[in-house]
Amino acid sequence: MKLKDPLPDMQKRSFLKKVLNGTIAGSLYLVYPMNSSGFEWPEQIPGVRDAYDIHARKFAFIVDITRCIGCGSCCVADKQEYNVPDGNYRTWVERYVKGFSDQIYVDCPNGGLDGYQTPRSDIKEEIRDTFFVPKLCNMCKEAPCVQVCPVGATFTTPDGFVLVDEKRCVGCAYCIQACPYSVRFMHPRTRVVEKCTWCYHRIRKGLLPACVDVCPTGARKFGSLQDETSEVYKILKGPGVLTVLRKEMGTWPALYYKGARMEVI
Amino acid sequence: MNTALASTAFASDSIGSATMLLSNYVFPNDLHVHWSMMIVLYPYITGLVDGAFIIAALYYLFGVKSLRPVARFSLLFALAFLCCATLPLLLHLGRPERNFNMLLTPNPSSAMAGFGYIYAVSMGVLGFIILLVYRPVLVELRSTSQGWLKVLYRVITLDSIDVSEKALELDAKIIRFLVAIGIPVAAVLHGYVGFIFGGVKANPTWSTPLMPVIFLFSACVSGISAVILAYIVIRKLADQPIDHGCIITMVKTLTGFFILAFSFEMLEVFSHSYLKSGYHHMVEGLLNGPLASSFWFWQVKIGSVLPLLVLGIMGIFKLRSYLYNFLAAGVSGILLVQVLIMRWNVVIGGQLMSKSARGYTEFHPLWFDKEGIIAVIIVMAIPFAILFVLGKIFPFWAPENK
Amino acid sequence: MGFSYKMRLILVCLGIFVMAWVGFLFKSLLLPDSFGLYGHFRADAITEAVEVPVRHGTNSSCFKCHPFEAKIHKAGLHSTISCEFCHGPYADHVAVDKKTGTLPVKTGKQITTLCLRCHNTQIMARSEEVIKTVAMPDHLRNQQVKLTHDCNQCHHVHAPLKYINRAKQITGLMEKG
Repeated sequence: MKLKDPLPDMQKRSFLKKVLNGTIAGSLYLVYPMNSSGFEWPEQIPGVRDAYDIHARKFAFIVDITRCIGCGSCCVADKQEYNVPDGNYRTWVERYVKGFSDQIYVDCPNGGLDGYQTPRSDIKEEIRDTFFVPKLCNMCKEAPCVQVCPVGATFTTPDGFVLVDEKRCVGCAYCIQACPYSVRFMHPRTRVVEKCTWCYHRIRKGLLPACVDVCPTGARKFGSLQDETSEVYKILKGPGVLTVLRKEMGTWPALYYKGARMEVI
Repeated sequence: MNTALASTAFASDSIGSATMLLSNYVFPNDLHVHWSMMIVLYPYITGLVDGAFIIAALYYLFGVKSLRPVARFSLLFALAFLCCATLPLLLHLGRPERNFNMLLTPNPSSAMAGFGYIYAVSMGVLGFIILLVYRPVLVELRSTSQGWLKVLYRVITLDSIDVSEKALELDAKIIRFLVAIGIPVAAVLHGYVGFIFGGVKANPTWSTPLMPVIFLFSACVSGISAVILAYIVIRKLADQPIDHGCIITMVKTLTGFFILAFSFEMLEVFSHSYLKSGYHHMVEGLLNGPLASSFWFWQVKIGSVLPLLVLGIMGIFKLRSYLYNFLAAGVSGILLVQVLIMRWNVVIGGQLMSKSARGYTEFHPLWFDKEGIIAVIIVMAIPFAILFVLGKIFPFWAPENK
Repeated sequence: MGFSYKMRLILVCLGIFVMAWVGFLFKSLLLPDSFGLYGHFRADAITEAVEVPVRHGTNSSCFKCHPFEAKIHKAGLHSTISCEFCHGPYADHVAVDKKTGTLPVKTGKQITTLCLRCHNTQIMARSEEVIKTVAMPDHLRNQQVKLTHDCNQCHHVHAPLKYINRAKQITGLMEKG
C-alpha cells in the first residue's frame, strides 16, 4: 500500500484559491494592498503574521525523496536569495545510484546548481535504484555546532532554528568540524560561518523558504505545526515512515526525509 | 577532482567488498580543509611548552637532581613558546579582531571556550615560577647592571634584595606550590587541545577518548626532545661542557614517555581496525590511502620505530658519552619531526575524510597565505627570537660550581 | 618602600586578585545587549536574522505586474514552476515597487537545455508519477519534426500543452473545453 501524494499543482491551485478568497475576493489577479513599505507579499504560512510567540511556534521541514527530480530549482533559488559565493552551498542535491552489487555511487556536480543533464557514464554495472537527495541544514535539536561554538555565536532559537550570529562569530570553524552533515561553510568575504537557515527571514514574514517555494514537484515541504491544514502536519500525524540523516550521531534532526533509502548519509 | 582521487583512495583491496563501499563522493562543502597548518602548529607549540615544563617539574617538584643543568632553561624555553601559542590561533581565525569574544562570552558547553582562561592561568603560573626561581640571580644582576636593564631587574625582583635564607626558603615553598599547580594546568592546556579533537563526534578518526592522552604523551615527547636538542646544540655552539648525567636522565624520561605515546597511537589504530565499528572503513581508507606515506612511512617507521630502536640501544649498551650525546641529539631531532607529522596526520588527515563517509578531499599547502608555509616558518622562528631575548635577561644555565 | 619581601609577595597576590576582579567587571560591562535573554547567545541576533532582505519573491509577486503571462502560466501544467528559476530573482528586477533592472529571457538552445533539466528521460531517478520525461532526439523524430527544433517551437514554455491542445481542438482530435 502506498499513499499517493496529492498532485503538487493541485496544492498550489487550491492554495492560490485560498489566498484569493481570503484576501481580495473577486479580483481577477492577485492585487495586493500597498503600504508604505512597498509590496505586500502573500501569506504562505498561515498565522505567522499574527502575534508571533517565539516560544510557542513550531515548524517542520520534510524532504520527499520520491518526488525529487533533480532539477536544481532549489539550489538556484537558494543561491539567488543569499548570493551564496561560488563553491559553497547552503543546500545541494545529490544523485544516488545503486548497482546490483550494492555499490553506491553518489555525485553532486556543482552542488546540483546546473541540474542533472546527463546520466553517469562511469558506472559499469546494472543499476538497481537511483534517486536524488536534497540536502540542507538539519536543524538538530541537539546541535553539535551549538554545543561547540566557543563564543555563543551559533545558537538554537526558542522556535527551533539553529542560526549564526554573524556579528559575534570569530571564524574558528569549530562548528564546521562538528557538523556531521557538512552544511556549514566559511563565507570568503565576511570570514564568518554561514549555513542554511531554512530562510528564517522569509518564514517570519509568512513566506515559505525559497527552496520550498520554487520546488515544482513538492519534494520539499515546509509548514507550521500549529496549522492543522498544513501538509507537513498531516504527514507528521500520519503513519508514513519518516527518517532522519545520521541518527547514530545523536543530533536529533528536525529535518525529516520521506522515502530515504538506508544508504543515504 | 573526485575522479582524480579515486585511484589513490581505493588502491587498498583490504576494504571488503561486502562492507559499505566508497564511491569517492565528497560533500560539496567538504572540499576545503578548514583547519590547516596553523592548527597543526598550535598543538605542536603547546606540546613543546608542556614537555619542557615536565623537565622543570621533575627537578623542582620531584627533586630529580640530575636535571639541574637544564631545569632553568626548560622553564625559559616553555615561556618562549607559550608566548607564541596564541599566534597560530589568531592567524587561523576568520575574524581575529574578535578574539576577545572568547573571554567575554565563553560558551560553557564548548571545549574550546576555556582556552583564554586556561592560557592566562598557565602564563601567570609559568611567569611567577621563573621570577621566583631566578630571584637570587636577578638580585645579583641588579647590582651589576646599568640603565633600563637595572630598572627591569628592580621591577621583576619586586624591588626587593632580600635573599636571606628565610626568604629563599619561602621562595622554594612557593615554587613547589606553583609547579604543583603548573602540572595540572599544563596538562589541561594541552590535554584540552586533544579533547577539542576527541570531542568531534562527526569525525571518526578524532572522536576517541584516547585523543587527549595521545596528545599529552606526544607533547611530553616533543618538549623533552626539544630541551635535549637545544641543550646539546647551544652548549656545543658556546663551546661549553655537556652534563652527561643530565642527558642520560632526560633520554630515559624521553624513552618512557615515547613508549607510552607510541603505544597509545598504535592502540588507537589497532582498536579502530579491530572493532570495525561505524565509519571504520573511512579511517582504514584514510591511513592506507591519502595518509599512506605520511602515517605509515614517516610517522610510524621513520619517526617511531627507528627512534625506539636507537633509544633501546642507548638504554641497553654502554656507549661513550660523545656517541651517546650524538645519538641523543639525533633521536630528539627525529622525534621533534615525528610529533609534528603526527599533529599533521591528526589535524589535516582527519579533515581529508569527507563527512559523506564516501570519499577523501585533498590538501595542498600554500606558500603565501596567512596560514601558509612562510607564515608557519615565521611563527616557529618567533619563539627562538623570544628565547634569545630572554637569555639576555635570565642566564640560561646554572653555574657549574654548585 | 620598607615592606618586607613576604609583604611584597602578598601585595602582588592582592594585585592579581584585584586585576582579575576588574577583568570580570569589564567582562560584564562589555557583554553585548540582550545576551543571555533566551540562552547563551545574543537575542538581538534573532531580530537581525528576521531582517535579512527577501530577494527571491513568489510567483504572485511576478503575476501582479505581468497579468498576461500569469493567466497562461497558472492555467498550464507548468503552474508550479517558479518564475524566478528561469528569469532570475525578484530583487534584481523590482525594489520598493519600482523596476530597477531587466531580467533575462532564455532563447533558442538555452530553452532546450532548461527543459531537459527536468524532462530528460536518461536521468532515471525521475518518477513517472511526478514528471513526464522524453528521450532526445527520439521525441523529435517521433513527432516528425526537424532535429534542430527547440522545445519552444511546439511547446509554450509557460503552458507546455497550450498550442498542442489548441491544434488538437482545431483538427478535431480533442474536444474543446
